[in-house]
Amino acid sequence: MGGLQKKKYERGSATNYITRNRARKKLMLSLPDFRRLCILKGIYPHEPKHKKKVNKGSTAPRTFYLLKDIRFLLHEPIVSKFREYKIFVRKLRRAYGKTEWSAVERLKENKPAYKLDHIVKERYPTFIDALRDIDDALCMGFLFSTFARTGKCHVQTIQLCRRLTVEWMNYVIASRALRKVFLSIKGIYYQAEVMGQLITWLVPYQFSHDHPTDVDYRVMATFTELYTTLLGFVNFRLYQSLNLVYPPKLDSKAESELKEDDEEDYAMNSESYTEKLSALSSSLARVVSSEEEEDAKLDEFPDEGEDMEKMEAREKEQKQLETQKKIFEGLKFFINREVPRESLAFVIRCFGGQVSWDKSVCIGSTYDVTDETITHQIVDRPNVDKQYMNRYYIQPQWVYDCVNAKIRLPVEDYFLGVNLPPHLSPFVEEKEGDYVPPEKLKIMALQRGEKLAQQDEEEEEEEEEEEDENEEEEDDEEEAEEKNLKKMEEQRSQGKSLQVKVTPGKVKVENPARLEQEEKAEEKRLAIMMMKKKEKYLYDKIMFGKKRKVREVNKLAAKRKAHDDAEKAKKKKARK
Amino acid sequence: MAARRRLKRVAASQSGFLSFKSPSDPTASVGSRRKRVNKNKKKNWNKYSDVNDVDEFLEDVRHQERTTGGLLSEKADDSLFFLDLGQPEKPQPQAETPQADEGRKRKGKASRPLRIDLILKPDSLVPPPKDILAYQQPNAKKLRRIAEKAERLAAKGVVPRKQKRLLNRRPIDRTVKKAVAEANNNPDRDYYDIWGQEPKVSADPWYLQQTGKKLVKRPAKLNEKPSVLPAVEVIAPGGSYNPDFFSHQALLQEAHQVEVQKKKQEDKLERQLAINKKDKATEETNLREQVEGLVEEENDDEELAPSKEDDEAALAAIAVTQKKSEKQIKKEKAEKFKEQQRLTSRRQTERQQQLFQLRSIKASIRQQEEKTKSKQMQRRIKQEAQKAQPRRLGKLKFQAPDLDVQLSDELAGSLRQLKPEGSILKDRFKSFQKRNLIEPRERAKFKRKLKVKYVEKRAFREIT
Repeated sequence: MGGLQKKKYERGSATNYITRNRARKKLMLSLPDFRRLCILKGIYPHEPKHKKKVNKGSTAPRTFYLLKDIRFLLHEPIVSKFREYKIFVRKLRRAYGKTEWSAVERLKENKPAYKLDHIVKERYPTFIDALRDIDDALCMGFLFSTFARTGKCHVQTIQLCRRLTVEWMNYVIASRALRKVFLSIKGIYYQAEVMGQLITWLVPYQFSHDHPTDVDYRVMATFTELYTTLLGFVNFRLYQSLNLVYPPKLDSKAESELKEDDEEDYAMNSESYTEKLSALSSSLARVVSSEEEEDAKLDEFPDEGEDMEKMEAREKEQKQLETQKKIFEGLKFFINREVPRESLAFVIRCFGGQVSWDKSVCIGSTYDVTDETITHQIVDRPNVDKQYMNRYYIQPQWVYDCVNAKIRLPVEDYFLGVNLPPHLSPFVEEKEGDYVPPEKLKIMALQRGEKLAQQDEEEEEEEEEEEDENEEEEDDEEEAEEKNLKKMEEQRSQGKSLQVKVTPGKVKVENPARLEQEEKAEEKRLAIMMMKKKEKYLYDKIMFGKKRKVREVNKLAAKRKAHDDAEKAKKKKARK
Repeated sequence: MAARRRLKRVAASQSGFLSFKSPSDPTASVGSRRKRVNKNKKKNWNKYSDVNDVDEFLEDVRHQERTTGGLLSEKADDSLFFLDLGQPEKPQPQAETPQADEGRKRKGKASRPLRIDLILKPDSLVPPPKDILAYQQPNAKKLRRIAEKAERLAAKGVVPRKQKRLLNRRPIDRTVKKAVAEANNNPDRDYYDIWGQEPKVSADPWYLQQTGKKLVKRPAKLNEKPSVLPAVEVIAPGGSYNPDFFSHQALLQEAHQVEVQKKKQEDKLERQLAINKKDKATEETNLREQVEGLVEEENDDEELAPSKEDDEAALAAIAVTQKKSEKQIKKEKAEKFKEQQRLTSRRQTERQQQLFQLRSIKASIRQQEEKTKSKQMQRRIKQEAQKAQPRRLGKLKFQAPDLDVQLSDELAGSLRQLKPEGSILKDRFKSFQKRNLIEPRERAKFKRKLKVKYVEKRAFREIT
């Protein structure tokens, strides 16, 4: 009993939070500076659980920070730099106003600047931490490096971003780390695997900027400031891990190849080296010569049965990866001028291909169109006047699709003027029982090595088109298709692993396998019979869900079929 | 001094130099009475001695010095006289011809010195007196002695202290500029292995801590990300530049759904803001308003009657509350006691009966537990879902950006013809907001402080 009366809002959550304005005043910074500091230090606003308590009874929406975070900010040495900068600006403005040019000069010479190195180290205590957060840095770097130098941000920032992104791309090429590419309507998504981390980044198409007005450029520039520092240090470490020279240097061999007379046409001498680096057409110099490429195999520790299985799976994966890394090895590409050069050069070089372009397009082309050893020429126009016999003229999508499919796809679908197959997103992973577009099925079949059957089918289809078969037959086929679908549905409903390919039944006599299957099915039926009532109910429910899903998928497939048929009919009409 | 001495000497040698005391004119003094003056006073000397002749003489000497540079009597004869041989005949015409030429050219002006020069030319031949101070040095003697001493020491090989200190001073390298703080976005900046080596701590940690120079350790909680969303969300497969038909349709469907939702909300708002038809004025309501109070109401009497009845009832209620008799009180008490007993017995029997209901009770408990468990589960799921949601961080709510979609007829057939959709800059900005890294904000609106006054210009007004 007794004691002092407790006052409201003097303990609990009300004292754990601080409003933005109060935090600003505590740090003695202007709002833009405060915002910048928070971004650099990685301190973000917080939504309290009980707003009314924190807000001292008011329900007005406010921005809150944790008080401890702000206390932590008080120790930051950069805060004083911000104040110095403020004073510098004031003095400079004063000197300008008084037209004291010598004072202006002197002040400009002593412009205060700060480094973010210690912040990077503090926020990312280990290298892996930094690598996990590199997605944002890459996106911002690539975005800013494509900006026009029109004063939306500092030219120096743009240059730095360009340098860092080029370094990154060169690293990805050198380490063959690229895994997926997706051309979207927004930009190009890349995914690379660096030191076991999957890193995704988005690169805008060239010259596609309209500057939106509702974006705060100051905030974005601050993020970029931090991320350029981070990216630089990460690049350094990655180059070190591959024994590459860090500010990257071209291989001496490559450099001699690249020596040309007309270098001055593209860039000033001071810039031509960076330009050549950004051309991505030649390999980089190493600290230790690259001859003794280690062919280290994974250490094998044979263990129990299960582990062995896992190990095998892993080995298989590894092998697949190795083959994927070399899909373009031995191929020589030539990029026509209407094709996005940088993206294609990057992708091709990531998978071991050689690439060149016309001299007038960019610096750093290694061979000419007339080179007889070129195997693929990438063209994106309806036709080409002068064609060489011994090379494929393909559309750029082939390269990307090959990368995503992890094999060299047949070239026929991507010839000049051919209607391209859809460019599927490699980032979608279908679960069991999802609808899979037929194009993907085809690619999956190709991956499994079932080349002939597919081609046969295609040929058949073509024949069908040409021969103009009777409608009855088509009807028959449809019926057969339906039957097939039903069968599939039944199969799926029994929870068997899917046979993903949808092919009209060519009966293959596989007796032992079939017997085994039947046996399994029998066992399953028995197991179902033995179930308890409750379990049975659950089982039925699950099965029903699966069936419904299958039904939906079948519906989609049928729809697709109808769509394709309609397209076919249209084409036929057009031909007639 | 020398000049004065010479003057004296000259004066003495001159004939007719009068002594100091002699009066200027002996004849005048004879005529008038000689005035007696005491000569023991300097004042009288000045007053009564005649110095005109001396002055004249001195003036003459000065004149001679001025015009000839010395006394004529001391000059040699050669310098004073010359032998007149008449005018030389021949060289004159020769000299004249070039002069005439020049004179014709320059009209004879150049040969003559300018008048102003003549005026300014010193007309005295006495040389100006020498300014001694111009070449005299103060402290000359002392300085000379110091210099002599220094020379002696230098000969011995002793370096003075001042020079020694100068020699010992560390040379300043003027060519190296003061290390200018490098800007953070310098494109040529260099990087190093930041995670490789631990930075050396040079000073005592206690000292660093006390002087506030030690970096404060970052709390580990700050390294947690404020959202579980990935940094880069890959667009749906329908967003491919050359999409599969169905995935494209799915994306369109999604975009359509969003639009429909927006439209719904707009419509709702419109509906809520619409004027109620009943509130609108019609002819009838207008008329009624105009006649209000003019027409008599008929049912006044009916309303008055029931109010009377109410009053009576209230009075009756007051009358009823009379004091209870003792008997009545006892009776009520007993009844109350009985009722309580009945209730307790009933409770007891119920409790006994519960023993036989154990199974059903257990079942109900189980049911309750299940219910709470499922509720907990749901709450947890909700919380997980909330983690991916953008939080309310400021005045404004996060507004999801429009889905980037290309309609079927906008799709390009090839990469060359592709028209990129949306802005990546905006996408990144929204992503930061979605991941709670920054609070959503609106661009500050421009507010005019002073009113703008519009004035029609006269030229314009004349036309209209």
